[in-house]
Amino acid sequence: MKKFRKLHKVLALATALIIGATALVACQTSTGTSGNAGNGTNNSASADASADGSSNSNSNNNSNNNSTTTNSESNDNTQVKKIGVVQFADHPSLKNCYDGLLEGLKAQGYEVGKNLEVDYQVGQAKMDLTNQIVQSFVSKNYDLIVGIATPAAQAAYNAASVKGIPVVFSAVTDPIIAELQNADGSNKPGVTGTSDVLPVDDQLKLIRAFVPEAKTIGIMYTTSETNSESAIKTYQELASKYNFEIVTQGIAEAKDIPAAATSLVGKVDVLSNLTDNTVVQNQQVVLAKANEKGIPYFGSEEEQVADGLVAAAGLDYIDLGKTNGEQAAQILGGTKAEDIKIAYTEASKPFYNSTELAALGLTLPDSYKDATDMAK
Amino acid sequence: MDIFLSIVIDILEQGLIYGIMALGLFISYKILNFADLSVDGTFPLGAAVSTVLLVNGVNPWLAILAALLAGCLGGLMTGIFHVHLRINELFSGILTMTILYSVNLLIAGRSNLPFFERETIFNSFPASLLPKPERGNGWVVVIVSLVIVLIIKLLLDTFLQTKKGLLLRTAGDNPQVVNQMGIDPGTMKILGLSLANGLVALSGAVLAQQQRFFEISMGTGTMVMGLASVIIGNVLFAKIPFLKATTQVILGSIIYKALVSLAINLGAPPTMLNLVRGLLFLLILLSYQFGKSSKSGKQGKNGKSGKSGKSGKNNKNAKKGARHA
Repeated sequence: MKKFRKLHKVLALATALIIGATALVACQTSTGTSGNAGNGTNNSASADASADGSSNSNSNNNSNNNSTTTNSESNDNTQVKKIGVVQFADHPSLKNCYDGLLEGLKAQGYEVGKNLEVDYQVGQAKMDLTNQIVQSFVSKNYDLIVGIATPAAQAAYNAASVKGIPVVFSAVTDPIIAELQNADGSNKPGVTGTSDVLPVDDQLKLIRAFVPEAKTIGIMYTTSETNSESAIKTYQELASKYNFEIVTQGIAEAKDIPAAATSLVGKVDVLSNLTDNTVVQNQQVVLAKANEKGIPYFGSEEEQVADGLVAAAGLDYIDLGKTNGEQAAQILGGTKAEDIKIAYTEASKPFYNSTELAALGLTLPDSYKDATDMAK
Repeated sequence: MDIFLSIVIDILEQGLIYGIMALGLFISYKILNFADLSVDGTFPLGAAVSTVLLVNGVNPWLAILAALLAGCLGGLMTGIFHVHLRINELFSGILTMTILYSVNLLIAGRSNLPFFERETIFNSFPASLLPKPERGNGWVVVIVSLVIVLIIKLLLDTFLQTKKGLLLRTAGDNPQVVNQMGIDPGTMKILGLSLANGLVALSGAVLAQQQRFFEISMGTGTMVMGLASVIIGNVLFAKIPFLKATTQVILGSIIYKALVSLAINLGAPPTMLNLVRGLLFLLILLSYQFGKSSKSGKQGKNGKSGKSGKSGKNNKNAKKGARHA
């Protein structure tokens, strides 16, 4: 017992030391290269930021210790604009919105590390965390808040509208239902953004071209996702136009997927993805079941095709993000958010995966010769 | 200073609202010794009920009362599963949580229901009398939630001193004693679970009115958050004599939110956020352990030298009882 207690103490001490060291390192990184702080993990921005890190370290330092300093100081001569970006979940499509946003801002002359500082946070699909992130943005009086995905955008609107901070939303399928846009199509005060309506018509056309003899399309979706529900409605409305029948399979959470996938692949000729967060995150499970049965599995976005799905008429989320970047730049330039039109993107791009296509014994239709091959 | 103050308001706001939920978990976890997983379902249940009522024009205060009642029903369900159908306690909670997911969707009609234009408890009658600061309504939210939390805390403290309350506490610590008194400890358990989940649902309703939309996923991680708040509060403030356990729990919830906020504001990149959070929790709990180790070393030895883990548990319960009295 005594020996054990000693060991216990040593262990505790060691843990404390490790924590201390980590905390120190964390503080160093957060104050020293704070331009990176927000962007440290995302590849696109960090390179720019670190290149200019030395010249900007002063102004950045201020901003990071901003619990004690007033932010008027850092605005004086450099005119650094600060924006907060909150992304609801860690998800490749949403990350593409963010990357596009930075590109769009850069094209308009706002560059990370020069005259722009971006605080990028991910809400881990948790409402409580998302709310706290948005509140911290509001407290720090950022010039603009960008919310990616519906719940993040709503949380941003709720917290920011009170203080008059403009909000740009991204990837919100139905801004009117989400109450981020007035029912008559006009903007709410202080809010603009982009909507990612799924290009269902293009997708059905693509599936018909790739698999001419298919009759039924299986779609798996999470019952909790509003976006998926409205997309399924569109699928059902348009299916008859291409002589398809839609079979849906609802799930409540990720762990329902294996059983749901087994049941679904037994009933349909092809599978198609929505932009359903849970399903997309776990699409490899579905893909494995589909491959066992030799059923083609179509995606809704280029990243999915790169991950092994056969083809997609996909939304280009980078493009969507670029539009957000332009909107954000206009707001930073002085235009009021409510004067900027909310953009509905429906234009799609075809993508396919040649490896998967060969494995399934399919050939690329002539009409899609120009599609982008995403095979690795 | 302005920013600092604003961050403090945010922390208080979230800490107090989730504090109501932590009080609920205090009843199930600390008093009843029941790891109640149903809270992940009853939290959004309260939000759904209050949101639907609000959207249909019901008074916001009535809406949160209705949420409380709905939560009690949820707890009742778990209690009946466990006590009368003899289902394992964790699984009773899982069952309720699973069933409530669909129920919540049915009540709300869809997975995300905003009501930005509606009156809430934070901008309607009693709250509207408060002077409105020129920027933001953070203070109003803090004051309203503080009042709600205090009322609940005082009612709960009073209840725990009544005969029923004492029976409830005994039912968790030592069900045999309750049995010997001719009272069914199972009934007390059901009562406690109803009360606990009622508070959790109330918290969900208040939160929904603060964020002004219902989102089906808002219950994710409620149990973990609540347990962390209860434990942080009870561990950190155990030594302060005049603080009741309920107050400790509320403070624990505020500290939990403060640590999360600190992690966010430290400027850690998103992928590191949970690591920083975890380390902060560890740091806070360990710093307490170090402070304690010299003092209570002997007591701890006594507890640990017992043959089985059970004596340790009893020891813990004894301490808890002492703190309560």
